[in-house]
This record gives sequence, C-alpha cells and structure tokens, in this order.
Amino acid sequence: MAKHIMSLTVNGDTREFAVDDRDTLLDVIRNQMALTGTKSGCNTGSCGICTINNAAGEAVLSCLTPALEWDGESVTTIEGLEADGQLDAIQQAFVEFGAVQCGFCTPGVIMSAKALLNKYPQPTEAQINEGMAGVLCRCTGHIKVKEAIRNDFRLRINKGAESGSGR
Amino acid sequence: MVVKRADIDLSVIGQRRPRLDGPEKVSGRAQFTADINLPGMLVGKILRSRHKHARITKLDTSKAEALPGVRAVITAPDAKGIWATQNEPAICGEVTRYIGEELAAVAAIDEATAVRALELIDVEYEILPSVTTIREALKPDAPQVDPGAPGNIVSDNTDTYGDVEDAFAKADLVFEDKFVSRPTHNLFAEFHACVADFTRPDKLEIWTPTQSSYLFQHSFARAFKLSVNQVRIVHLHTGGAFSGRGSVRPHHYIAALLSRKARRPVKVAASGDEEFLVCRTLGDNQYVLRTAVDRDGRVRAIDVNATLDGGGQGHALGYFGWMVGLCMTWIMDLDAIRFRRQVVLTNQRPNYLGHGGMMIGTNAGLMQQLLRIAKYLGRDPIDMLLQNAIEEGHHGMSGEHFASCGLKECIETVRDASGWNDKYGKLTPTPDGKLRGIGVGIGSMAAGARGAFKHDTSAAMVKVGEDGLVTVFTGIPDMGQGTHTTMAIIAAEVLGIKATDIHVVAGDTDITPVDVGAFAQRGTIMTGNAVKNAAQDARDQLATNAAAALEVDVEQLVFRNGEIFVKDNPEQRLPFSKVSFGSLHSKEGRFVMGRGFYTTPVDYGTAAWSFGAQVAEVEVDPETGDVDLVKVWVAHDCGRAINPLAVEGQIDGQVFSAMSQVLFEECVTDDGQYLNPSRLEYKMPRAYEMPEVEYFLIETNDPYGPFGAKEVGEGPIVVAGGAIAAAVSDALGGFLPEIPMTSYKVWRECTRLSKSPDRSGPEAQSEL
Amino acid sequence: MLLPEHTLLKPVSLDQCLIMLRDLTAGGGERLEKAQLIAGGTDVIFNMRLKFFQPEHLVSVRRVPELQRIEELDDGGLRIGAACRLVDLADDPRIQSRFPAFKQALDAVASAQVRNMGTLGGNVCLETRCWFTNNSEEWRQGRQGCFKTDCEHCHVIPSSTHCHAINNADTPPALMALDAMLTVQSARGSREVPIAEFYRPDGMDHMDLQPDELLTHITVPATRDRNLFMKYTPRKGMDFSLGAIAVRCGGQGERAENIRIVLGSISSAPIVLVEPARVIEADGLGDASIEQAIEQMRDELGEVTNLYGRATYKKQIAKTLVRRALVKIRERV
Repeated sequence: MAKHIMSLTVNGDTREFAVDDRDTLLDVIRNQMALTGTKSGCNTGSCGICTINNAAGEAVLSCLTPALEWDGESVTTIEGLEADGQLDAIQQAFVEFGAVQCGFCTPGVIMSAKALLNKYPQPTEAQINEGMAGVLCRCTGHIKVKEAIRNDFRLRINKGAESGSGR
Repeated sequence: MVVKRADIDLSVIGQRRPRLDGPEKVSGRAQFTADINLPGMLVGKILRSRHKHARITKLDTSKAEALPGVRAVITAPDAKGIWATQNEPAICGEVTRYIGEELAAVAAIDEATAVRALELIDVEYEILPSVTTIREALKPDAPQVDPGAPGNIVSDNTDTYGDVEDAFAKADLVFEDKFVSRPTHNLFAEFHACVADFTRPDKLEIWTPTQSSYLFQHSFARAFKLSVNQVRIVHLHTGGAFSGRGSVRPHHYIAALLSRKARRPVKVAASGDEEFLVCRTLGDNQYVLRTAVDRDGRVRAIDVNATLDGGGQGHALGYFGWMVGLCMTWIMDLDAIRFRRQVVLTNQRPNYLGHGGMMIGTNAGLMQQLLRIAKYLGRDPIDMLLQNAIEEGHHGMSGEHFASCGLKECIETVRDASGWNDKYGKLTPTPDGKLRGIGVGIGSMAAGARGAFKHDTSAAMVKVGEDGLVTVFTGIPDMGQGTHTTMAIIAAEVLGIKATDIHVVAGDTDITPVDVGAFAQRGTIMTGNAVKNAAQDARDQLATNAAAALEVDVEQLVFRNGEIFVKDNPEQRLPFSKVSFGSLHSKEGRFVMGRGFYTTPVDYGTAAWSFGAQVAEVEVDPETGDVDLVKVWVAHDCGRAINPLAVEGQIDGQVFSAMSQVLFEECVTDDGQYLNPSRLEYKMPRAYEMPEVEYFLIETNDPYGPFGAKEVGEGPIVVAGGAIAAAVSDALGGFLPEIPMTSYKVWRECTRLSKSPDRSGPEAQSEL
Repeated sequence: MLLPEHTLLKPVSLDQCLIMLRDLTAGGGERLEKAQLIAGGTDVIFNMRLKFFQPEHLVSVRRVPELQRIEELDDGGLRIGAACRLVDLADDPRIQSRFPAFKQALDAVASAQVRNMGTLGGNVCLETRCWFTNNSEEWRQGRQGCFKTDCEHCHVIPSSTHCHAINNADTPPALMALDAMLTVQSARGSREVPIAEFYRPDGMDHMDLQPDELLTHITVPATRDRNLFMKYTPRKGMDFSLGAIAVRCGGQGERAENIRIVLGSISSAPIVLVEPARVIEADGLGDASIEQAIEQMRDELGEVTNLYGRATYKKQIAKTLVRRALVKIRERV
C-alpha cells in the first residue's frame, strides 16, 4: 500500500512518519516511535489497555484511531507523564497505594485515571467508577486503583507546596 | 488489620511497602514479551482448525511458501514428536478435535504478509461426527473424540482417605447436591505471546510470559532434544497468569519451529479471539457432592463425584484433581473423604485449570451445601463450621501435620467484624425490594505441592556489592503477585539493610538459579526460604569479616539498619557497606556471594497451609436477578504478612476474581464454538462491581515458613467463592446449582424458589 | 487483526464530502462496499477489524465543519451536527436541562474512551450486533455463513428469512421518544426523516440510508414533557444492554398525555410501544394501569430471540424496565 507522510506530536516531540491507511495510532506509537509503554490489547476497543490522552487531556483508544486521521495532532502517552525526571502525582500514587500488580494494564489504567482527573480533579465515587469502566484489570480488584485516584489530589497539592508552584 | 499472636523482632518485614518494580511499571518502561524487538525478527501466524472434529484431507502450503516475504511455513511433519501434553501434538496432522487447533504456521517479514500467507494455505476437511458436551460424550453410541480414550473417558481416578462407606453408614443424614461450573478464561491482561530465537542449533532462546521458566526449559529441551541449559527462558514481566501459564503450549513450540526453519527470531502473539482458543482453563465441570452429617452438626464424611470436561485433549486435567478433594479435609476434621474425578473428552478447547484451581467451583458448592445442612439442622452455619474446623497440631488423613492453623480465629474474626450474629437469619429486604443475604466461606490452601511436579525446589543467590547494595538472583517469575519485592524484603531483613538497597534479578535461566516456579502457592515459602538461606549465607560471610574487624565473636553481631554492631555494645559498630567493601578489597579478596536452597521437608504435598474465613453480604434484585456484592470481610491466616500492602492487594484481586467467577464469567458455547470470545462480551466486571473489603491478617507464625509466612496467592479466592455463593443462596433461600450465578440464572432461581421454596431436606435439591 | 486495505479520504466541507460520496458510489453496489463514513471510528474500525466492513474508501467527516455544530432553535430545540462527540453533548448544559432522556442515553454509551471518540451520528447509525458472527473473519469460518456474510441464513432463528442482529445503540430510543428529526443529505439533495421511520426491523439493512447519503443533523424539538432513559446491562460499566427504555410523557403525576414509550436492544430496530401507551394515556400512571400496560406489551415485542440472553429473560427485563421507568416518570414533576 502507498505510504503517506504524516506529522504527529507525541509527548511534546513532533516527528514525521511514513504510514499507510491501515496504520493506527497504536501502530505508530509502538512500532515507529518504539514507545512500548502503550500496550496492545484486544484491538477492538473493549479492554482500554491502549488508552492514551488527546491534546485536550481526554482518554482515547489508540487501537481504534486511524493514524492519518490524527495528522498534525498531539497526544500524550504513559511515557509523557513524567516531568523533570519526576513521576506524575498519579503515577506516584499508583506506586504508593499498591495499585500496580502485573503492570500490563497499568499504562492504560493510568492514562484513563489521568484523563478522569483532568476532567474532575476531585472525582466522586460515581465519576471514578464510570471513568475507569473502560479499562480491564484482573489483578488489583480496582480497590487500590481507586484509592490512588482519590489520593492524587493530595499528592499534587503536597508536590506543589514542596516545589513552591501549585498546579 | 494485622492480628499478631506473638511478635518477633523484625525491622523490615511487616511494613507496608510499595512494590520495587512499581516505578518501572507506572512509567511504561516495564518490558513485556510483545515489546521485544530482535534484529531481523519475523512475525509468526498460526492457521487454526475451523472445525471441531474433522480429518484433514488436504493441506497445501505451496502458494503460501511462494509468497514473497514468507520465510518459513511449517505443518505437522515439522513438529513430529513434539507434544504439548501427553496426547496433544504441537501441530495437528490428521484429525483435528476442536476449533482452534493448530494446523500450520508461517513466519513472514510482517504481519500483513503472514496473514496473506495463511489465506493462501489450502485446507480441506472431512467433517466427522462430534460431541460438544459431557452429556453427549457419555452416551453409549457417542462419537469418539480420541481412539485411545474409549467411551470418551480419558481418565477416572479416585482418592479415598478413611472408610467412606462406614462413615456414611454411621451418619444420621446424607445430603446430596449437584453442582456445575461453566467454562471460563483466566483473562490475564497480557495476551499469549512468545518470541523464539533458534537460529543456533545448540541454543534456543525464548521470551514469554510464564509461571515457570524451569518447566518451560525442561519441556523445550525434551521437545528439541537439547540439554536443559541449552534452552534459555527469559520471562521479563508477566502480565498476570492465574494458573493459566504453567505449561508450554503449541504456540510456544511453533515459534521455536518457525525460528529454526527461517533462521530468524520469530514473534507469535495471539489476537483478540485467538486468546480464547490458546488458553487452557476450566471447562464445563459437574460435581455431585454428598455429605454425611450427624444431627448434632458434626460433618463425618464427604464424597465428591466430579465429571470434568477435558475438551479435545484432557490428559493434563485428571492429574490436577488430587488436591481438590483433599483440601476439604484441611478445613474440617472428617472421618473420611472420597474424591472421584472422571475426565471426559469433548470436541472443545482443551481445559486445565482456572484462577483458584478447581476449588472455587467445589467450594461454591460445598459452602452452599453446608449452609443448607445448617438450616435443616437449625444450626447457625458459623457455629457449625467452628464445631468442625481443624486446629493447630491436627493430623490430616494423607499424613499432613498442621504445625500452624488459625482457622477458628479467622472464623471468629469475620463473624464478629461482620456483625454476623445480628444479621444471619435476620436480614429483611431493602426498601426497594432487594433480597438480602449473608454467607460464610472457609478454606485452606497448600503452600507448595511436591508431587504436582517432580521437584519442589528453589535455589537463590545473594550477591553483596562493594558499595553495600545487594542483588538477589531468583528464578521465580513475578506475574504481578509481588514475589520479587517479597524476596527483597526477606533478604533485607536477614542482612539488616533497606529493601530498596536490594535489586532483584530474575527471569533469565542463563543467569538465575533453579526455581520450579510460581504456582501451588510455593513462592513465599519455597523461594522465600531459599532467599532467606542465601541471605543468611552472605550474612555469615560478612560476619566473619566484621567480627575480625570488631574483634568479637560472630555470634555477638547484629545486622540492623545498615549497620553491623555488637549486641551488648551497640556503639561498637561498622557500616554494612564498609564491611562489604572491606571484604572484597581485603588481601584475600573475599567476594561475598550467598547461596541458598530450599525444598519441602515432606515427601509429598507440603508442610504449610494457609487458612481463611470470609463473610460476604449481598443484595439481590428479584426482578432482574442482579446480585450486588455489598461487602466482604476477609480473615486470612497467611502465617506472617511479609508486606501487608501486597497481602491486601492479593486479597483484593482474589475477591474480585471470585466475585467475577461466581457471578459473571462464562464462556458461552454453541455447538463447540464460543459465542463471546472477546473482552467485551466475556462479562468480567470493571471498577463498578468491586465491593468494599475489610482485611484481617492473622499471623500464626508457621515454623516452616520464612519468618513464619505461608501463602496468600490462592487461598482467599477459594474462600471468597464459597462465601459469595453462600450469601446468594441465603438471600434466595435455596441452593443454586451452577456458577456463574449470572443475573439470568439468579432471576430464574428466584422465580423457581418463590413458587416452591426449598424443603432443605437431605435429598438432592437440583437437577442438572 | 489488521484492518482491511482501504484509502482514507478527508473532505473539508459538506459539499466536498457529498460529492465524494456520490462519485465513489456511482457504480452502484452495497452501502459498505465502496465508501464508509468514519467519524470517531469506535464502531467502524471495530467492524473493519472483524472484516464486516471492507470498504474501498473511508470518508472521514472529522474535518467537515457543518457537522460539528449545535444550533439553537427558536423554540428551544437543538439541531445537532452528526459529528458532534458524545462527550461534548453529554457535557452540554442545554441537553442536560432540556432533554434528560437524551443526556442519560449519552452517558450510558460504552466507556469514557468511547464517548470521547464516538459521535452522535455514529451512535444513531451503529451497526447491528450478533454474537454468532461478531468475531473475526477466521472465527466466523467455524460455522456456516449468515445474512451478515452474504449467505441466506440466520443463526439466531434458522427458519428466518432475514437477519435478527440487534440494534444495541443507546441514543436512538431516547431520540425516538423525543421525536427527533434526522436530516439526510446527498449530492442529490436533502431530506428530513423522523427517526422513528429511520430504522427497519432487519439486522442487515437496518437504516433508511442510501450509499451516497450522509446523516448530517439530528434535530431534537423542544418539549415540556417529562422524559427519561434507562438501560439494563449485565455489567454496570462498558456494556451493551439487554434492554433499554426511553419514555416521554406530558401531564403531571399520574396524569399522562402524549406518552411515548420506546424499547431498545430487543430487536433490529427500537420498538415504539403503542397499546401500552394508549392504556397509560387512558388510565394514567397508577400501579394497576402500569401492570396492564405491561400485559399489553407482550404482542408488540415481536419475536424476542435468544441473542445475548435468553428470550424469557429479555422479556422479563423489558417488563421490569417499563415498570420502573413509568413509576419513575410518575415521580417526575
């Protein structure tokens, strides 16, 4: 198939790629950028493991997105959450509260949580349940994931206080 | 909450500690098999049977071989003599026995070419008569799945302990129930995948998620006539296993065969619905449970007659059953038990074990039945369980000696915490008409299982670096359970340093010492003891040097908080790192490397068992059959909680999985094919359904466990399965004969029971 | 599961899009053969992975500005571009305050991820579903073909002469209860279709939409009537329903005027309940009248199949939904 040149900004880095019409964002991120933090799961939108964030900080499924549709756009993957060599508060909360077990769904779960927190910085239980319903996790039973999400706000405040700059 | 019997002086163990590989996993840096990309790697794809029982009359691969970009095509002759299990060829040659069986495979330069090549393989089938259910398979004139298994029965084993006939004859009452558990999938997040590099004839390298690199190494060596250490297994991170990654499957062998033929590394990975064909998990199992009791509530004997659906190649299944019956004798002081398991072949996916082994099904039946018995006898089920529960020091029927046992304490703890006495028999429907129920489950789980595999062996190495940082080498995989962090904590406790000063190297058989692997709940106790011994060995080596420097006897030294000091004079001290540096750079150059080994002291089975009790509370919507699991109180005797945070995480996951298996998960079959092979239609719940969980970790300090620890890997799931099933049964007022108790089935049972309430008599309550 | 080969086209105006559709489908043929519209991709890419859709061209409407707008009508109704995302509509305060049923249906769609990608037009045109065939192409080779794969057979009802795949979309019942109007455009012109007339009880051909046509707008007229949407799913999050209901009802308390009751996920098209509505309009929303309406419903469900759940159970779910929805609407001011 014919290749097209497209541009994509991933985690702040803009690059050009040669893709064909069949390639999805997931293919570009994993295979062309070698950002393997984003996992390939069911490829049909059910498991949420390939979740990334769009430019608005919303959770989207990279497996269901034709790459060419997003020519010129910007996305964030799990690798893009860290800043200045520091884990993001939600990543830190996942570690601290034991919300990680096997770790395979973790990137998708965290990117879903991140999007949830972008929309609702202090989410209600109902918002957490609905925000996290798009991802599958067999190991954790979701309890400590929810605990991490509930504590993200506190960690973020503390972090802001430490560095002297609130967010 | 951690409930301690006796405190021992510990400085690292017992603290809530985030897992050491957490930062790697939350940042996306953790590597899984699909992330591996070797130079020149090809994509492997498998052609699978589309018929449940058929003779392959033609298999022409010439067009596929001619396709540019195809580097290897293999069929049955390429895999001659390679068996996934006793009677399961790596590639099927003549007669295929289930949909999805491997018929051929290709390796090509990219996925599109590989997929195109599969389409070019010309297969013709001669359809043979088939059987897709146990019932059909056991009919006298049923089509035969395997000529080697007359009557479609592949094995029929019975384990008997005590005099069953006598116990049943002497008992006042005999209760009998039929119970079914439907097929499931382990549904780990990481799909089946394997990367093989067999480009050198004398070295096979495999990257794959696994529960045991040791067993994989042996299976590959046997298949390819290599010596064990000519096989290198790298297991990286493993994305969940749940009893589903214990053995080499056809796709693993196929990856190696393709690599050998193409002389390039090959990656084989399952796609969405393929995942449901590659898995080996629980099939459609049926149980008849007979329990003999006296009127005073004493349970005398249990007789289980199990008919297990082995699917197309059920040879592995009969082998696992021994523990399923025996574990009933680990919770109640019985006079006798019999566990018969007949494995029947059908034209379905081959089945082995699911999360919780087979025990989640048997316990969901048994706990419901015990509830039914208690109700009939007018007893409180918890009192009746306490009456029958075994105690510390109990001698079991197959020679077990329970050196630690907190079963009664667990039962009493959840009884009190859940407010059982105010709830059982007194729950009234909610204002919006939901039926409420409360149930109790108990269970026990062996930590380790010699006999289930030939050896129950773990070895470990502890290397002390010159800077005082320590590396633990272990062969046990971490599939998410947190074993590697547990090992670091154990080594840190022995050496008196921080767990974060320890780096765990695992998952590469070229480097790491032998370890049978992570199943039968053996990690904490077997590998844990090996690591403890290795750390002790390293500590002894350091102590010799430290004692010389401090001019005291080694017996006087204490290792604590990164220092080595004299017990009676703590001011006389040396930093740990200074001793390790001094050891290496002394004139003698004593490089500190501890070696440790552990195997169970018994000839068969294990020497340590966990115990648990749980109470579950449910609300049932009688109009839709929806079961809302409100809360679960969990008490688990894990011996010692090495890391309470990880123990809770294990309990969370198992309560979730038990809920999921008892209420939701089912592979819906139609004529030998699944109708719901996807993460959407296979109804594992998401975040919404998880109930509140309250934990009580009962520390009984087992004499065999490292620092008293036993297991928390599969004990809680079995208990939870029983408690949840019993709670639904309590809400409905009757025995539910099948898991999963999906909303449809619960509604159906609600309707049935509202018309004819259970008589609670000893006779069978349900028809299959 | 690779996507089938295709070419992605990205028109930047409605006119350009309609001309593209006209030119691509000029030679005739089935709706999905030559050109398939794509917006969020959640349904289209899913169906392409399974090779149900194998179009030569994908025509993306993401850059067509006319389809992204919400227009306010004079009377308080809304004219919504088909490519508006579900999440944006669910977050729109006008929809929240004026059309609770619509808002509830939007929230009920799949997961946050899907709502962040999927569009209203996509949900209205959602492909029908059947678990005998909704798997990969290789999987489908394990059994005889069916209407969905160009064979004259239905696995759900073998004696049937048409496909029984289910319309599982959440917004159509709500939009039907609210009397929404669809605007369908092609290079040939524009037409308005009441949404109730848009669907057909045939899983293979469930929409009144020609290959060159595009659903451009969904108009929801203003209403003062009480309205709501509910659905029943085995799993609370990320699940298609075994039954869904939308109700709109004038009057107050037990008094019911101009009531509309629509059931989803029972058949290949949403079902408007006629006799039950008449019973409620005549006798009000009292308990006895509701039970009578449920009795009357039986004949209007058509042939309830065992697809995704037992027919007996799905009927029970339908009854329960009707009862709960009517009781709830009674309590609404």
